[in-house]
Amino acid sequence: MSNIIEMYGEYLRDESRQTGTAESIIFPKTEDEIIASVKECALTNTFITTQGARTGLAASAVPFGGHIINLSRMNNVIGARYEEEQDRFFLRVQPGVLLTEVRKYLLNKSFLTSNWDENSLNALRNMKKNEWFYSTDPTETSASIGGMVSCNASGAKSFRYGSTRDHVESLRIVLADGDVLSLKRGQTYAEYGKFELKTESGKIFYGELPKYEMPNVKKNTSGYYNRPFMDMIDLFIGSDGTLGVITEIEIELNRTQTSDWGVTIFMPSEDKALDLVRALRGEKILAHVKELKLKPSAIEFFNHNALNMLRQQQKTNPAFSSIQEIKESYHTAIFIEIEGDSDEEIWEGIEELGDIIVELGGDEDATWVANNPLSLEKLHNFRHACPECVNMQIDDIKKSDSRITKLGTDMSVPDDKLKDVMKMYNDDIEKNKLHAVIFGHVGNNHLHVNIIPRNLEEYKLGKDMFLMWAEKIAAMGGAVSAEHGVGKLKIPFLMKMFSKEEINEMRELKRIFDPEQLFNRGTIFAYWEKEGAL
Amino acid sequence: MKIIVCIKQVPGTNEVKMDPVTNTIIREHVSAIINPFDTYAIEEAVRIKESYGAEVYGLSMGIPSAKEMLKEAVSLKIDKAMLLTDRKFAGADTLATSYALSRGVEKIGNFDLIICGKQATDGDTAQVGPSLAKQLNIPYATDISKISEIKKGLMRCMKITDDGYEEIEIKLPALITVVKEINMPRLPSIKSMKNARETEIELITFKDIDADESRLGLIGSPTQVKRTFVPVHDVNSVTLEGTAEEKAQSLAEILLSIKF
Repeated sequence: MSNIIEMYGEYLRDESRQTGTAESIIFPKTEDEIIASVKECALTNTFITTQGARTGLAASAVPFGGHIINLSRMNNVIGARYEEEQDRFFLRVQPGVLLTEVRKYLLNKSFLTSNWDENSLNALRNMKKNEWFYSTDPTETSASIGGMVSCNASGAKSFRYGSTRDHVESLRIVLADGDVLSLKRGQTYAEYGKFELKTESGKIFYGELPKYEMPNVKKNTSGYYNRPFMDMIDLFIGSDGTLGVITEIEIELNRTQTSDWGVTIFMPSEDKALDLVRALRGEKILAHVKELKLKPSAIEFFNHNALNMLRQQQKTNPAFSSIQEIKESYHTAIFIEIEGDSDEEIWEGIEELGDIIVELGGDEDATWVANNPLSLEKLHNFRHACPECVNMQIDDIKKSDSRITKLGTDMSVPDDKLKDVMKMYNDDIEKNKLHAVIFGHVGNNHLHVNIIPRNLEEYKLGKDMFLMWAEKIAAMGGAVSAEHGVGKLKIPFLMKMFSKEEINEMRELKRIFDPEQLFNRGTIFAYWEKEGAL
Repeated sequence: MKIIVCIKQVPGTNEVKMDPVTNTIIREHVSAIINPFDTYAIEEAVRIKESYGAEVYGLSMGIPSAKEMLKEAVSLKIDKAMLLTDRKFAGADTLATSYALSRGVEKIGNFDLIICGKQATDGDTAQVGPSLAKQLNIPYATDISKISEIKKGLMRCMKITDDGYEEIEIKLPALITVVKEINMPRLPSIKSMKNARETEIELITFKDIDADESRLGLIGSPTQVKRTFVPVHDVNSVTLEGTAEEKAQSLAEILLSIKF
C-alpha cells in the first residue's frame, strides 16, 4: 500500500484534485492483459478503477481502493476505414490515445501504421493531410479518447457537431466476467425498453432499461443514457467506466472546411448579448429582425465579471499581455466560430451579423474579426484565458486555506430557459455577495459559473448554492452534468435530478453487467454495501 | 499630421519551401499576408491618429493582387492606401524598391512621418526603411519600441539597442522603423471590414510618378540574388550504451578519432 503511494502517487489523483487509495496498478498494452486482470479481480472480488489521461474534473478516475487499470499505454491509432458511398471516414483507436495526438496525426497524416491491415492502409492512401478532423474539442486537449467516451465529453464546437457520442461508431468493452462485448452503431437496438446483448463468447445479457426520462438538452452526461428504442452502444458512452473497460473505439471524423473564422462581439448589456445568442442559433427574436443565415460552429459567452477579471490580469500579469485590449465600454462578450467553403460565403454571413448587432443596440465596431489562423489563435487564447485566470486565483486562495478547491458548474438547460437560468445565477450570486465569473458554451445553454471564494465560509456557501442550483436546473428540465460526467463529485447533484427510485433503476442496470460492483465503485452513485440498499 | 506606412506583402507561412531546381520560393498554395512587422507600424500610425489626429496612408509596391492586402490594412483603420504596380518596378532589390517607394511618397506629398516595420519576414534585410529615408533626405531611427510624445515638430521615442534602450528625439518629417514591442496590433472589426471593402485602392504606375527609369526594377538593382538554398542539417547523433566506464571509453575513442 505504502509502496504504491510512493511510486505511483500521481495515479491516485486526477484533474479534479481529489486523491484516492489503491493497492495495485497495471498499465496493459493489449486487450488480453485487461481480460486477465479483470478475471483475477473478479476471483478476489477486488474492485477496479479504469483510468485514461486523468484529466477529468469529476473524479471518475480517482480510485476508491482496489486495483487500477491505467490505459495510457494503449495509445495507438490501429486502423482507418473509408465508406465511399456516404463519404464517411473512421479511425479505430485504443482508449489511451490522446486527443492532441489524434489531431496531430490527422493534420500531418503522420500515423504509425506498422501494424495496420491492408484495408486500413488503403483507406489512408487516399487521405490527404488535414482533409479530415475530429470535431469534439474539450478545452483539455491532453484528454484520452477513452476518457472522452466515458464522460461523453463535448466542447465549444459541439454546438454544431454534437458531443463525443455523435462520433462513436463502435466500441469493444471488457465486462466484469472477462467476456468481451463488441458493439457497432446501428446494429443493436432496445425495443420498448428491453434489450438483448450478445458477447463474443455467445453469452446473452437480457435486460430492461430504466423508466426515467432524460432532460431535453443538447448536452448531457448525467447518469446512464436511456431511451426505450435506443442504440445500445449509447448506454456505454457516458457511463463513466462503471459498466466495463473500453478497449477499442471507432471514431467518425468530419471533413475539414476550407475557411475558419472567429468573431468576438461585445454587447452593451448581458440581456442584449443573450438576444444575440438566440439570433445566432436561428431563433426569430424580433419581428423586424431577419433570420441569420450564418451557422456558427461554436457560440461562447463571457460575462461582465469575466471581462473585468481579464482586464485586471492584463494590467498586472505579463502572461496575459498578448490578449487584445478590452475597452472599458465593453460589457458582455460573445465569441463565435464559423467554418465554411469559402471566405466570401462566411463574409456574407458576417455582414448580416453586423446588421443584427446594430438592430440589437450594439456596435459593429465593438467586434474583433479573425479571418486567418494566426488571428483566430488570438481569439482562442482570449477564450482560454478565462479558465486559466480562475485557476490562478483559486491556487492563490488555496495558499491561505487548502480546503478550498475550484467551484465551477457544468449544468445545461433547454433553449427556452437560457434567460431564466442566467437570472437565477446572477440573482443568487448577488444575494449571497459572492464573487463569480460566468463563461462557456452559451449556444447549448451550458455555462460554467465559477465562484471565486475569498474564504472557507464563501466556499461552503458556494457549494450549497450549487446544490440548490442543481435542484432548480433539474426542475427546468436541465442536466446537472453536461460534459464532465457525474464521477464521484456530482453524485449529490444527480440525486437532485433523479429520485431515489430512478437512481436505483440505474444501479439495477449496472448490476446486469457488473453484479459485484467491480468497476468504478462510488462513481455515478454511492457504493452500496448490501443488496438493494441505498 | 500626415503619416505614411510602408507595407509589404509576404508569404503567410513559417515553413518556406524552396524549389530545388530553380532555387526560388514556392508560392503556390501559400496565402499572402501583411508582413507581420508592418502590422505594428500600421497600429502605431493609427494610435497616433487617435491621440493626435492624423491622416494615415498605406503605401506598398507589388503585384496587382497586393490590392487585397492593402484593403486588409484599411480594415485596420488606415485611411487611404496606394499600390505602386508596374512591370518596370519588377525585380527590384532594396535600393530600387526604396527609390520607387520614395517616388510614391513624393506623390502623396506633405508628410510628417513615415513608419515602416523593422524588416520583412521573407527577405529579412531591414534595409528598405533606412534607404527610403536617405532617398528622401530625411532623418530616420530604427528599432523604435515606444513613441512618447509628438510636439512642435519633434517626436520623442525609445529605441531598442543591444544594451538596452536609447531615448531619442527626432525632427519631423522623419522615418522610423518599429519593433514588435511597440504595441499589440488590433484585429479588424465588422464595421472596419465593411468600410475596407468599399474603399478603393489607388494604383500608381510608372507614368504616374516622376521617376528615373534606370533606377527602377531589375535595371536599377545593383544587387542580384545568385542562389538561395535551404541549409542542410547533417548532424548525426550517437547514443552511447553500456556502463558509465564503457561509455566514457567510447566517448574518449570518438573524441580521439576526430582529433578533438
